[in-house]
Amino acid sequence: MSISGKSLEAELTAPIAIATMPAKPRRETDSTDRVSALEAVVRYALYIAITLFLFIPFVMTVLSSFKTSAEVIAFPPTLLPTVWHPENYLHVLTQIDGFPRMVFNSFFITFAAVALNLFFDSLVGYAFARLEFPYKNTLFAIMIATMVIPGFVFIVPRYILMLNVHLVNTYGALLVLYFLQPAYILLMTQFFKSIPRDLEEAAIVDGMGWFGIFWKIILPLARPALLATGILTFAGMWNGFFDWLIYMQDATMFNIQLGLTTFRSVYQNQWDLIMAGSVLAILPILIVYIAGQRYFVRGIATTGMK
Amino acid sequence: MAVSVAPKAPAATAKGSRRSKRGGMAIAERRAGLLFVSPYLIYFLILQLGALIFAIWVSFHHYDLLAIDNPFVGLRNYARLTINEDFLIAMRNTTEYAVVVVVLQTVFALLLAVLLDSKIKGRNFFRSTWYTPSIASSVVISMIFLYVYHPTGLLNSILGLVGIHTTEAYLESTTWALPALMFLAIWTTAPTFMLMFLAALQDIPKEVYEAAAVDGASGVRKLFSITIPLLRPIIFLVVSLGIIGSFQVFDQMFIMTSGGPLKATLSVALLIYDNLFKDTGTVGVACAEAIVLGLIIFALTLISRRVIDTRIEY
Repeated sequence: MSISGKSLEAELTAPIAIATMPAKPRRETDSTDRVSALEAVVRYALYIAITLFLFIPFVMTVLSSFKTSAEVIAFPPTLLPTVWHPENYLHVLTQIDGFPRMVFNSFFITFAAVALNLFFDSLVGYAFARLEFPYKNTLFAIMIATMVIPGFVFIVPRYILMLNVHLVNTYGALLVLYFLQPAYILLMTQFFKSIPRDLEEAAIVDGMGWFGIFWKIILPLARPALLATGILTFAGMWNGFFDWLIYMQDATMFNIQLGLTTFRSVYQNQWDLIMAGSVLAILPILIVYIAGQRYFVRGIATTGMK
Repeated sequence: MAVSVAPKAPAATAKGSRRSKRGGMAIAERRAGLLFVSPYLIYFLILQLGALIFAIWVSFHHYDLLAIDNPFVGLRNYARLTINEDFLIAMRNTTEYAVVVVVLQTVFALLLAVLLDSKIKGRNFFRSTWYTPSIASSVVISMIFLYVYHPTGLLNSILGLVGIHTTEAYLESTTWALPALMFLAIWTTAPTFMLMFLAALQDIPKEVYEAAAVDGASGVRKLFSITIPLLRPIIFLVVSLGIIGSFQVFDQMFIMTSGGPLKATLSVALLIYDNLFKDTGTVGVACAEAIVLGLIIFALTLISRRVIDTRIEY
C-alpha cells in the first residue's frame, strides 16, 4: 500500500490539494533582484545537480537494461553498455513465466477501474455538488473524514469479506475496492460547483431528467476534471502492488508490479531481466504522464476555484 | 457486488415532467440525489464503516481465517502488544523512520518548490524531470534501489568516482539498512509534495514580496517570515500525508529487506502482514496492531495540526 509517504491516501489526496489550489496568473519574479553572471552559474549548477540527483537512477536503469546481468553490477562500473543487448526485453517477454498475462492483467484492471471511476466519481460528485437530498452535508463530511483513516485498519476485515464472497484471486476483489474513490469524488464535486447553473436550469425548463442533465449536459463540460480523475486513477491502478499481493494468489492473476517482485526470488540476480522489466513497468505510466500533463494542469487550473 | 448497483437512473430521467410543481421537482431532485449518491453510500457502509466495526470486533477475538470458532479474548490482543518484542521493535523502527522521513521530505519538497517558483529558463523541464521519481511505482523504485545499494551498484560506483572506495552492502547492514530505506522514501515522495507546495507558492500575491523588498528584507528573511507562514495550511497537509504514509510503510521493506537484517527494518505494517498471512491464529493480533497504528497516526495528525496552527479547507 505504501511506499514511505507515498501511501495510497497520499496518492489519492495529493491531487486534491493541488486541485483545490486557486489558479491565478503567475506573478512576475521580483525585478529588483539583479542576478550577476556568477550567481546565474551557481544557480544553474544547483538546478543541474538536483536534476542529476533525481533523474540519474532512471537513466542508469535504462542503460543497465541493455547490459548483461554481470555488467550491470560490474566492478569497475561501465556507463554505456559495452555491447548493447536489446534482446533483454525479448527475454523478459518470453523467458519469464506468464509475463504477457501479467501485462494483460495490469492493463485490464487499470482500464476497468478508470471506466468505473469516471462514471461513479462524477455521478456521486454531481449529486454532492448540485442536488439537494436528505443528509447530504452529513454524508459529504463523512466522506472527507473517512479519507484520512489509515488504510491498514481496513485490510483484515476487507480480506475476510473478500474470502467470504469468494472474490479472492479474482479481478472482482480489486474492482469492488476501487470502483469509486472518495478523493476523486471530491475532485469532481469541486469541479461541478464551478460550472454555472444556467445550463441546467434551461434543461430543467425543457423537462430533462436529472440523469439526462448529468449525462448530456454536465459530463461533456467536465472533460478537464474527468481527464484528471482518469489519469490519476490510471497511475494509481497501474502502480498498484499491495492489493495484488493481498488478493491475488496465482501467478496468472499477478499484475506487472507484483510479477516484477518475483523476478528477485525466482530469477535470482538476473539484473538484465530486473532492469528491463522495470523499464517496461514504468513505460505506460510515463507515456500517460507525458501525454496527459497538459490536460492535468488544465484540470488543476479549472478545478482550482476560489 | 457494489458494481452491479450501477444507477442507470431510469427513475430519475422520467421526473422532468414535474417541472410545473415546485414540490414535485424537489421530490424528484431528492430521489435523483439519493440514487446518484447510493454507490458511495454502499461503499461507505460496507467497505468503510462495516469494515471498521468488523476490524474492532476481530481485534477482541482469537481469530483464525480457517477456524470455525473464534473465542472472545477481550483486550488480550492489545495487552500482549505491550510485551510483544517484535511489535516494540517494529514500533521503534517505524517511529524513527517516520520522523526522519516526514521532516526531511517536507523540507526537501519545499526547497524544490521554492527553486521552481522562479523565472529560471527551463523551468518546465526541471519540473518534469524532478517529478519523475513520484510517477514510478513503489516496486520499480524498490528494484532500482536494489541496484543502487548493491555492493557494486550505482551508489558505490559514484562514491568510487569521488575517491571513496567501498563495497558496503547497505541493505545487509543493521546500521545502514533503515537509513537507506529512509533515503529512498524521501527521494521518491518529495517530488509529489513539491507539486503541492509549488501550486501554493504561485498563489502568494506578488505585492506581499514587494512590500518586504521595500523594507529591505533579504531572500532568506522573506522565506522564513513571509513564505513559510503563508504556506502553513499546505505544510500541515504535507506533514499529515507524510505521517499517514510513512507510519504505514510496507512495500520497500517487503520487497527489499523482508524486515531484515536482524529486524532492523521490520515495520509495523510488515508485522501486520506477517501476522495475517504467515502466522496462524494471529488475525486478531493483526487487527489490534492496525487499530493501534491507526490511533497513533490519528493522534499525531491532531498534534501536528496544533503545532502548525492551521486549518485545511476543502
